Amino acid sequence: MTTATSLTPRRTWSRTLLWQFLGLLLIVGVWWLVTDGLKIWPKYVFPGPKAVWTEFSYGLWGSGPQDGKLLSSVGNSLRRVALGYLFGVGIGGLVGLFMSLWRPLRDTVGSYLQGLQSVPSIAFVPFAILFLGLNEKAVMFVVVLEAFIPVALAVSGAVLNVPPAWRTAGRTLGASNAALVMRVLLPAALPNIVTGLRTAWSFAWRALIGAELLTSNPGLGRLLEVGRNTSNVALVIATIIIVGVVGGLFDLIIRAWEGHIRRDYGLEVAA
Amino acid sequence: MTRLTNRAPAIRLLTMLAPTLLASGALTALSSVSAQGATSVRIGFFPNLTHAPALIAVEKGYYTAQIKGVKVETKDFVSGTTLSEAFAAGAIDIGLIGPGPAINAAAKGMPIQIIAGASEAGAVVIARKGVSIATYKDLAGKKVGVPSLGNTQDISLRAILSASGLKSQADGGTVTISPVAPADVAAAFLSKQLDAVIVPEPWGAILEAQGNKVVGDEKTVWRGGKYPSAVVIVNTKFAQANPEIVKGFLRAHLQAINLISKSPLAAQTSISSELYKLTNQKVDPRVLQLALKRTRITSSVDPEAMKEYGALSVAAGYTRELPDFTTLIDLSVIKGLGGK
Repeated sequence: MTTATSLTPRRTWSRTLLWQFLGLLLIVGVWWLVTDGLKIWPKYVFPGPKAVWTEFSYGLWGSGPQDGKLLSSVGNSLRRVALGYLFGVGIGGLVGLFMSLWRPLRDTVGSYLQGLQSVPSIAFVPFAILFLGLNEKAVMFVVVLEAFIPVALAVSGAVLNVPPAWRTAGRTLGASNAALVMRVLLPAALPNIVTGLRTAWSFAWRALIGAELLTSNPGLGRLLEVGRNTSNVALVIATIIIVGVVGGLFDLIIRAWEGHIRRDYGLEVAA
Repeated sequence: MTRLTNRAPAIRLLTMLAPTLLASGALTALSSVSAQGATSVRIGFFPNLTHAPALIAVEKGYYTAQIKGVKVETKDFVSGTTLSEAFAAGAIDIGLIGPGPAINAAAKGMPIQIIAGASEAGAVVIARKGVSIATYKDLAGKKVGVPSLGNTQDISLRAILSASGLKSQADGGTVTISPVAPADVAAAFLSKQLDAVIVPEPWGAILEAQGNKVVGDEKTVWRGGKYPSAVVIVNTKFAQANPEIVKGFLRAHLQAINLISKSPLAAQTSISSELYKLTNQKVDPRVLQLALKRTRITSSVDPEAMKEYGALSVAAGYTRELPDFTTLIDLSVIKGLGGK
């Protein structure tokens, strides 16, 4: 019995990894087949895996004037998204909390935020450029906005979903207003808040790349733009892969944390 | 039982991929159709003075008069990037484009050929009113705009910088290079987001008329002004299948160039009205005259300048491999028609 429970997670984990590997192999294989193999498209429209790998290697350890910038581009983009995300989460958390505590705020700001959330982030970029200039501030504005909205909505919704009995229990046990928020409402709402944090991350990351593409600050968006300007589709595809991998990795980290919390709260059974 | 469940995902993936494979087959069929026996010709250009022959030919109806038997469609683009994308997608047959995108496209294996020149020089460096930039060396620590990264003017700017001992910030220097569409430069100057800019005409003359200062005229930008700023490219497959259409295009091209040299006033009016039609901007006649003075409209292409341009693009890191210039540039048809 004990051996079975300790083996199962490891076995499923290694099996997942195997499937992941086989899936990746299949995708690259099909990609190679339709490009370099069958040459269905000309290489200036859809290059094969080898050409894209060449771009990766130039980006990582090339020595030309535009080479070796992949890591610094990823770093620049990550720095921007991290700052914007933290800022957005901070304001979003506060606004969300106030929305959950005060109904008029919820009915006004809350519903506006719902509407605002349906506006694609890229639609804010021209406005941000006019308002803040063609610089990093414009990018940050969009990232902060995109991180702020889901967090504010998630916090407000999560706190409202805390069972009323828990509030009563808290009050009965003598909790003041501040203690009720800090020690009852927020801890009880944590699992749903973390889900909001994850949504906010993917929104912020997407907003970042879109905004970088239009403002061309050094970063992944600029890499995409240079690839486009120089008819270098391989560089464009390489950058898309990097954007996906980085975004997915961070999503995975937050998801692991979310799973951990949900298990701690007894909302999920340990796999 | 376990084997069955294990196989299921692979089958599912294959069924998911099948439509993609089918669609790709259909796409190749489509692109091969357009190559032979064209019923229409699609011509691309930008609303810039360096593309003046196209502006005149469209306004005066030269294309429709000279290209017989097929429908002539013209389309204006904002930059070489979008025009080159349209070429890659097979949506444009003949186009006027800067040497940078033309070289890059050819280097990436796009089936294109340069069959004529359109203009030389016609790019200037302008400093914002109130910023003290007297020579190129003063660009140190400044924010300089280019129409787009890796385009003809961007490459020229990088050549200017390295000749003045400067470097862009991305390469560890002090000059910040940011891409700004020429039409947006006036606004960027007003909000002080840019200190200087390198733009194709007529934007230089327009900015100058607004009180901004010319730092370097077209001659100081590169090679004493003897560099191509727009050339005519054609899809090689299209050209092979439709030599008469290409000839007709080139006749119209020469006719427009001749109008500029023979009756400059009529040419200016024509350019002005076409620019207004495309961009909704009224260009002052004196501004246009100044801009035209700094742009040499010509049907010739200097292969040496193209090669040097390719080398500059390599030095700037935008190009890794260069095309074979002897096959890329073919001026036999335009020369046969009396062009230079």
